[in-house]
Amino acid sequence: MKYIIIALMGALASILANKGVAVFNDGLRPIVPEYLEGRMSKKALAATSFALGFGLVIGFGIPVSVAANIILIHSILLGTDIIGTWSPDGKKGMIISGAVGALYGVGLVVGLKFVVDVFKMLPVNFLPQLGIVSIPIVAAFATFPALVVAYQYGVRNGFITLVLSFLVRRFTQYYGKFKIGSATVALNPEGMALLVGMVIMIIYAIREKPDPNAEAVDLVSLFSDRVKKIKKNVPYLAVMGGLISAGTSMLIIAGDPISLNLLSKGKDMEAALTALARGIGFIPLVATTAIATGVYGPAGMTFVFVVGILIKNPILAFIVGALVITLEVMLLDFIAKFLDKFPGMKNCGDNIRTAMSKILEVALLVGGMMAANAMAPGLGLFIVVGLYTLNKVSKKPIVDMAVGPVGAIFVGILINILYVVGLYLPAVIK
Amino acid sequence: MVKIVVGGQMDKDRVADIIKKIGGEKVTVEIKSDIQAAMAIKTKQADYYFGACNTGGGGALAMAIALLGMPLCATVSMPGNIRSESEILKEIEAGKKAFGFTPQHAEQVIPIIMKKILN
Repeated sequence: MKYIIIALMGALASILANKGVAVFNDGLRPIVPEYLEGRMSKKALAATSFALGFGLVIGFGIPVSVAANIILIHSILLGTDIIGTWSPDGKKGMIISGAVGALYGVGLVVGLKFVVDVFKMLPVNFLPQLGIVSIPIVAAFATFPALVVAYQYGVRNGFITLVLSFLVRRFTQYYGKFKIGSATVALNPEGMALLVGMVIMIIYAIREKPDPNAEAVDLVSLFSDRVKKIKKNVPYLAVMGGLISAGTSMLIIAGDPISLNLLSKGKDMEAALTALARGIGFIPLVATTAIATGVYGPAGMTFVFVVGILIKNPILAFIVGALVITLEVMLLDFIAKFLDKFPGMKNCGDNIRTAMSKILEVALLVGGMMAANAMAPGLGLFIVVGLYTLNKVSKKPIVDMAVGPVGAIFVGILINILYVVGLYLPAVIK
Repeated sequence: MVKIVVGGQMDKDRVADIIKKIGGEKVTVEIKSDIQAAMAIKTKQADYYFGACNTGGGGALAMAIALLGMPLCATVSMPGNIRSESEILKEIEAGKKAFGFTPQHAEQVIPIIMKKILN
């Protein structure tokens, strides 16, 4: 079942990329119409998709996936972008991209399992410590709305949001248990803190009035042909969205590193809330790029992940996920008008994405350091800090966010090598 | 006076600060939404567009590419890859007006572009 879902996902996503219906990489989306309308060669498109995607798959998608043993969607869909754009046009391209995409999807699942199994067989097993990478995210993800408010309305308002989130977190911890009949309902402190932060963030954003002097650009009428193209493709997009929801509900994949780490710790509610917040962050980006390019994303505005996390039955998740994507596409015009009316929401979306990256960068770096230090006290910190700072000045740096997990995995492998040559004695693992 | 707009989409304040620090008196920097910023270039109200996002091309340049066309836009850095100084200079010489990069690389690429366009 797992393999079937992932194979279908890989195949369909590759075909959609091949046909220019949907690509996952936001950076690739604006370039696809340049190719479809004949201003760019196939070769240039393929080269661009590879350049944009490869670094993220290797330097971000895979390391984050290994650390939690759930596949980060970027690993799959950035790969299928590349497969789709490299495959030839026409029927042949459809078959090739479909077949290669399916193999790629299954390969990822098998590969990830293989890597984890190999790590287990090493003389010094560092997988338990690798799990430490996610501790800071799980504890601190609820701070991001405060950062969003701070970006948009100043540090003072951000601080107020943080304090309110903190108070709610404390109160929930002590008084968040209710007895309903015989069942005890425990509210989750982090989840509640996040919820409050998000509500404040949205209240701030919605109060912002459009600038009357700003030149209005009516995207929808400017690009009406492209909007029509997306709507025509809605059946395929619906199936794609459904598959992603089903895959998420089976815990094969997750949409972002935060919810991925929360899911790996069994914190489903918090993961769903985070995925929801991230979805809100992606509405402006996905809606405006989709309207302007006529190309959608296989995961749409990423709400399909929320569906997958909340609905544990894969078949039901598939149906609801398909409905959600259909709704997103049908509402594109409406969303564009809404964003014009509430510019605060558009800025809010941009800031959510900035804030989540910032928090992930710090949390994954600290997590990586903690994990590395647990594997090899002292030495682990030495190596991760060294890697992070050197990466900063490198000409081909890996994504900041990934340095923590990559560093921790590197230290794990290193202590095994040191062990073999007799330069390391494993600490007693409790 | 060189007029610069910061459009898409992440870390706009930081990008604007870096530009101001380098350009000083010689530039005006305005932070706009990506659509407004791209329109400013199209209507010649501004000379250059800067934008950052995690891919260096999506949020950063999507609107610029859609409204101005690919020939005016260049991605100068992407995850895991910063283009070399000579490549970036070549893009500017080829008449590119809109530049996209990842926020992580802002400190490296903005000075290269600024040095060239201030000359």
